[in-house]
Amino acid sequence: MDTSGPAAFVNGEILNMYVGRRVRTVVQAQREEGGLLIGQSTDGHQLTIKGASGAPMLRYVEIIGIAESNQTIRAEVCTDFGENFDPAPFNGLCKLANGQMKDMFL
Amino acid sequence: MARLTPNGVAAALAGDTNLKPVVQIVELRGVNVNGVGATRGERFRAVVSDGATTSPALFAAQLGDHARSGLLRRSSIVQLIEYVINDVRARRLIVILNLEVLVPECEIIGNPIILPETGFPNPNPTRVEQFNGAPQYGLMSGNSSNTTTRPTDNISMFQHSIAGNSNFATRPSDRTPAIQPTVQPSYRPEPNYKNHGTIMKNEAPARIIPISALNPYQGRWAIKARVTAKGDIRRYHNAKGDGKVFSFDLLDCDGGEIRVTCFNALLDRFYEVVEVGKVYVVSRGNLRPAQKTYNHLNNEWEILLENGSTVDLCPDEDSSIPTQRFDFRPISEIEDAQNNAILDIIGVVTSVNPCTTIQRKNGMETQKRTMNLKDMSGRSVELTMWGDFCNREGSQLQEMVERGFFPVLAVKAGKVSDFSGKSVGTISSSQLFINPDSDEARRLRQWFDGGGRDASTQSISRDFTPAASRNEVRKTVAQIKDEGLGMGDKPDWVTVKASVIFFKNESFCYTSCPNMIGDRQCSKKVTKGITGNWTCDRCNKEFEECDYRYLLQLQIQDHSGTTWVTAFQEAGQELLGCSARELNALKEREDPRFADTMLACLFQDYLLRLKIKEESYGDERRVKNTVVKVDKVDPSGESKFLLDLISRSSALH
Repeated sequence: MDTSGPAAFVNGEILNMYVGRRVRTVVQAQREEGGLLIGQSTDGHQLTIKGASGAPMLRYVEIIGIAESNQTIRAEVCTDFGENFDPAPFNGLCKLANGQMKDMFL
Repeated sequence: MARLTPNGVAAALAGDTNLKPVVQIVELRGVNVNGVGATRGERFRAVVSDGATTSPALFAAQLGDHARSGLLRRSSIVQLIEYVINDVRARRLIVILNLEVLVPECEIIGNPIILPETGFPNPNPTRVEQFNGAPQYGLMSGNSSNTTTRPTDNISMFQHSIAGNSNFATRPSDRTPAIQPTVQPSYRPEPNYKNHGTIMKNEAPARIIPISALNPYQGRWAIKARVTAKGDIRRYHNAKGDGKVFSFDLLDCDGGEIRVTCFNALLDRFYEVVEVGKVYVVSRGNLRPAQKTYNHLNNEWEILLENGSTVDLCPDEDSSIPTQRFDFRPISEIEDAQNNAILDIIGVVTSVNPCTTIQRKNGMETQKRTMNLKDMSGRSVELTMWGDFCNREGSQLQEMVERGFFPVLAVKAGKVSDFSGKSVGTISSSQLFINPDSDEARRLRQWFDGGGRDASTQSISRDFTPAASRNEVRKTVAQIKDEGLGMGDKPDWVTVKASVIFFKNESFCYTSCPNMIGDRQCSKKVTKGITGNWTCDRCNKEFEECDYRYLLQLQIQDHSGTTWVTAFQEAGQELLGCSARELNALKEREDPRFADTMLACLFQDYLLRLKIKEESYGDERRVKNTVVKVDKVDPSGESKFLLDLISRSSALH
């Protein structure tokens, strides 16, 4: 397992803290605009994902990639998480991983 | 840096001669006792302070050397090793026989008032007579005799003329060179004498002191505080006739609280003046021990207002004084609280029941309403409202809950009852605050909205929690043994998240009686007779066909340990996904699917509802765990449970 580039768990708001670094998040695919995937993060923000075209709409997708801005991620890996994904626990995870449980991550 | 003993001076004055307090010398001068200038006869007088209270003090002659040499000086911090208290004409002072100088010089600690020259014991009696020969109201007024003389003996500044006080002028105490009753040992700013004809009034404002520093040995005091509660007028009848009384509670900027009571004429004077939420300066009341049956404030004293008392409104909003002071306890602590204890709680209202009318013992009717409060400790409690609370706050809360807003409710002075489990009820002096503006309320709101709402909680208001998923108590396998579950009178019902690691597959079911007794199956074990029929001893019948029911012995495991549990029919069926009869048939046919079915349930997480009870097996007593319900772990629900568990654990730290 290659741990050289760990990805931080982020949601829409926390993405801001990791611009330029590797992140991972789950978004719900909303629509596609010219090769870019527009997805909704687990805390309700709109994120733009590059290189994730072809994701079926309204399904949850995990994106691992480099954050290009506080709203854009250049995807390296996309994984289909299906329809039944519950965004609330993931959001809770992001908050804990970057908040009080920060020491356990990255 | 040396620290002064808090309340050291007050305690010493009260008689504690073993305390050995650390005090500061805030005033020091030498006095010639004999009136002649021989240095040998010089005695040193001082005023000592513990940062709040001051007292005059005398040094024994042998300590005079320290003072003379300068080792002991004004602002020195000393520890009183040996000292006695002298009562001289209703004045108390500390006579120091032995002390130790800790810090020779230091800045003045705390807020002791440095007495002006005029206030000092004056060996020269002529000074007293300088004011036109008129009685010195200012010097003798106010609270000079708090300790022994009744306050009414003090001449009220405003009322008496000279004639009425000729006795003062002739009191021998005025003349003695030693300690005069004119000494005001504590808080008093520079006396400010204005000449109003022949009556002198000291119009200097009394210095504001913290409520927590109030004690009956205090000199003239004043407190500035906000009214947090105002009681109703209570009329009574006793041997002296009819009377009326009311009380109000004060809170100052240091968080000190005290109750103030007014009777009769004073009630008339102050009842309209006092309003909840406003800030007042209260001065010159009588301090007496608090009546703990009615007064639940954290103060051993309460104030009794009297003729000379003043209650002045402060018009400018003093935001340094909080509007209310609470001492919230987590609901989990209420479980251990004593019956009838008074405490403050805060929680989110999760359900509100309708108002009911209750007949009281005296025949009167009153309203009652119950509701549930939940907080971050993982517990919920039933709150019972009585009387006006039901229709006022109660209705408001009910409406909010119905519309889906779950408000935060703070209760001040609720009473614990152990009627069924532990619950909290309102009393006449309780106060309710819906969605108060406080940090505690904000934290509860965040917790609740962030997942606390769905968190499972255990109610402390009922003895036995039913097996509803909202109220499940989560335990680990190790806790079953560590906490001695099942050893009580009643069985313990818990939920454990664990996986099955082993089935005893030799006997996983038994042949059971199919007979229906009412709407339940007999289910007793039946034995095959010679005829090939199954006989039930209980029903006394024979059956051609018997039923098969699960009786599984399983070993379950979680991160903390392993244990054996028994699963009966329903649980077995949920676990294995097929009936006992089918499974039995598979086994008898030596169908490989028999093993597959059992293996399929191994090593997956389930939420197992366990009934734990210690039972006798012959001479032995063993704890038996029975699985009554098996649920697959729902990742979403379980995540929420874990998030809530994390927030609860960190809230408690």
